[in-house]
Amino acid sequence: MAMLGQQGQCKFEDKWPSMQPTVLKLLRQEPVTRDQWQDLFWAVHSVCMWDEKDGPPKIYDALQRDILEFIKQAQSRVLTHKDESALLRAYIAEWGKFFTQCNYLPKPFNQLEANLLGKLHSSMPKKTQSGEESLVRKLMLDSWNQSIFSNIKQRLQSSAMKLVRDERYGDTFETQLVIGVRESYVNLSSDTEDKLKIYRENFEKAYLQAAEEFYKQNAHEYLTNNGVQNYMKYADQKLKEEESRAKRYLETGYGCQSVAALTETCVRVLVTDFKEAILHECAPMIKNKETEKLRLMFSLMDRTVDGISPMLADLEAHIVHQGLADMIAAAETITTDSEKYVEQLLDLFNRFSTLVREAFGDDPRFLTSRDKAYKTVVNDTSVFKLEIPIKKQGIGAKTQPESKCPELLANYCDMLLRKTPLSKKLTSEDVEKKLKDVLLVLKYVQNKDVFMRYHKAHLTRRLILDTSADNEKEENMVEWLREVGMPADFVNKLARMFQDIKVSEDLNSEFKEEHRNNNEGIADAINIKILNAGAWARTSERVSVTLPMELEDYIPQVEEFYRHKHSGRKLQWHHLMSNGIITFCNDMGRYDLEVTTFQMAVLFAWNQRPREKLSYESLRLATELPDAELRRTLLSLLFFPKIKRQVMVADAEVKGPKDIHDGTMFWVNQEFSLIKNGKVQKRGKLNLIGRLQLSTEKSKEEDNEGIMQLRILRVQEAIVKIMKMRKKITNAALQTELVEILKNMFLPSKKLIKEQIEWLIEHKYMRRDEDNINLFIYMA
Amino acid sequence: MAEEMDVDREADKETSSKPEKMFTLKKWNLVAMWSWDVECDTCAICRVQVMDACLRCQSENKQDDCVVVWGDCNHSFHNCCMSLWVKQNNRCPLCQQEWVVQRIGK
Repeated sequence: MAMLGQQGQCKFEDKWPSMQPTVLKLLRQEPVTRDQWQDLFWAVHSVCMWDEKDGPPKIYDALQRDILEFIKQAQSRVLTHKDESALLRAYIAEWGKFFTQCNYLPKPFNQLEANLLGKLHSSMPKKTQSGEESLVRKLMLDSWNQSIFSNIKQRLQSSAMKLVRDERYGDTFETQLVIGVRESYVNLSSDTEDKLKIYRENFEKAYLQAAEEFYKQNAHEYLTNNGVQNYMKYADQKLKEEESRAKRYLETGYGCQSVAALTETCVRVLVTDFKEAILHECAPMIKNKETEKLRLMFSLMDRTVDGISPMLADLEAHIVHQGLADMIAAAETITTDSEKYVEQLLDLFNRFSTLVREAFGDDPRFLTSRDKAYKTVVNDTSVFKLEIPIKKQGIGAKTQPESKCPELLANYCDMLLRKTPLSKKLTSEDVEKKLKDVLLVLKYVQNKDVFMRYHKAHLTRRLILDTSADNEKEENMVEWLREVGMPADFVNKLARMFQDIKVSEDLNSEFKEEHRNNNEGIADAINIKILNAGAWARTSERVSVTLPMELEDYIPQVEEFYRHKHSGRKLQWHHLMSNGIITFCNDMGRYDLEVTTFQMAVLFAWNQRPREKLSYESLRLATELPDAELRRTLLSLLFFPKIKRQVMVADAEVKGPKDIHDGTMFWVNQEFSLIKNGKVQKRGKLNLIGRLQLSTEKSKEEDNEGIMQLRILRVQEAIVKIMKMRKKITNAALQTELVEILKNMFLPSKKLIKEQIEWLIEHKYMRRDEDNINLFIYMA
Repeated sequence: MAEEMDVDREADKETSSKPEKMFTLKKWNLVAMWSWDVECDTCAICRVQVMDACLRCQSENKQDDCVVVWGDCNHSFHNCCMSLWVKQNNRCPLCQQEWVVQRIGK
């Protein structure tokens, strides 16, 4: 009975009268006590539990009635305003309150929702608990939408847009007014599939349109009145403003792209539409190094599709133009002075790098352009070129110009690594820094093989003549070359050269030890270097000479010694590389002369007849030196720079090698002496080697020819390598892979590649496809 | 001539007396290149020039120890290459004669 009684009290009809006042208070945002709040929970719970069948729908209906009633009142309050902005204001005020309550009112009705939904789909009651999906909330929002919002949303929206427009003109207002309209759109959507659809199609669309119209009107005017440079500042500022405005007024929730869409629209009307005009300013700005403005332009253009490309092109054009102009302006000094040349190149590089850093924040795309353009400058041939002969069968030599850059870089390295006024002046750190600079420029050099060849020649010279300034630096340089990706076989050979020098030093001490007590004094007189032909030799370097007896006698002893130490080896003497010190006694005094072996061979011819005159013809018979070599040697003795009295005199006026004839007579200058501070010295030392040694007349030409020969072989080798791997390859793909393989040595010309492909086809390494002449097939 | 030279050296040692020769040698730095005394520059096994280390030694950075070996047939190869070769086939790869080591380079 008690239970029945209690059950009776828990019917909807019993409970609702106590619930309704609280519900109304909540809707009106009036204070509700803790007890009232909790009672509401309890009442909902009781009705749902005890009046399971009829209770919940009844509560729902009653709630709906109250909500609709409340909304009706709100509607009448809002709609009394005829003025658009007053309407908006009133709407927002009502909406603000109502929307807040949407979060509270559903809470006590959780149980109700569980019951109602439980009937529909009892399998998943939990899911319905989440606030967003709440039935009561949906009821509230749907009712609001139907009763108020859908009727006046167009009016609200246009009011809101007007406010935004006013803000663009500088007015301030209560931001909540616009935000409220947006919230209404987002939250009042009845479309469950795509909740933002209505928002997007109305509010967002209107917002974007408004922005576009606004700037369509104003941007052009601003540009016309203020010029491009000011316009860029304006556009940049407006873009930033619009972005932060959009973050305020547009929906930013997950999955909503409104801000991005707005930015895109703004970029289009503010930047893309004026792209041409803005980009037109780019080249002059680069020229004048207006980094601030360029940075601004970069940030604007980077927002547009493909806006950067014209800027990249402008930068490239500037670097190439400016770089070449500078090089040509300084052509006179830099073509003769490797140091100046390299410094000029580095200066250019640093200038361009600074520009890219300051104007474009070292953006990778601009760095690539800098590299590309700098490469053009470095490899340009208009200032000076290196003639590389191309031997064509029977047709004779043709030349193809190449930049002299690698040769000059190698010369500069030599100046830093050799004992020179330059290397003495610099500290070790300076030298290191400058060598690294060379490596930096080298990175941009297309034909690194030329550098390698010259560098090796210089190194050979330094090691043979023992003129390195710092051995440690020399060996470091080898490793640095390895690090920058020079071909391993080249670097290995350089490393081997250093090893050989060490091995030779050991060999030399052993030799001296063995001949210590030899009465001929051979141990003191000679110093041997026996080097690995594979690492050192260049084909052109052996020049035959008949040695004077004084020298010739030592050779068998050395050979004998070497035979004991090693087996299976043969020795070839390279007198072009050897040198020594001789004592020259004449009427004036005794002088120690550092000379090449060829100079010795010539001078020793006078030992039997010190005061006689010897003809060119007889000197040639005595030394058996090749013509060109003998002439060069004689000239070095006749005209050694910077000394007043020469070692040798000729009877005719000899200015160049062509002035020497078979009958020209030469004699040793008995008046030769060293002069210091205007006084004749009786003793002294003089180095007559200078730059003479190790650069034969023909070796330079042969060097270049050798470079070409090597290139041909490398191209063939690389093509075969690619064909072996690919079996079938198109012409275009082959060219690309070839350049990739060879790029750390040289850039093969199209012609060279074509010739080598033909050669390989002729020699049956590969063939063309029968149907497609651009497809090659490997033949094993 | 030989006599003269001896005299010359005597004189050179005694710096007080004037040497007879106008030019006398004080120091000679002479340079030679050595290479293996082979008939064929390339090792037929690894196809690398015998003056360079064989491929195996190049990759292991043992360039200095890579010497040449000659057989009785006078053909020559990298010693490293040949010692691997004979494990499979004890004949000279060039002439098919039985491989007998004549000498190893040093």
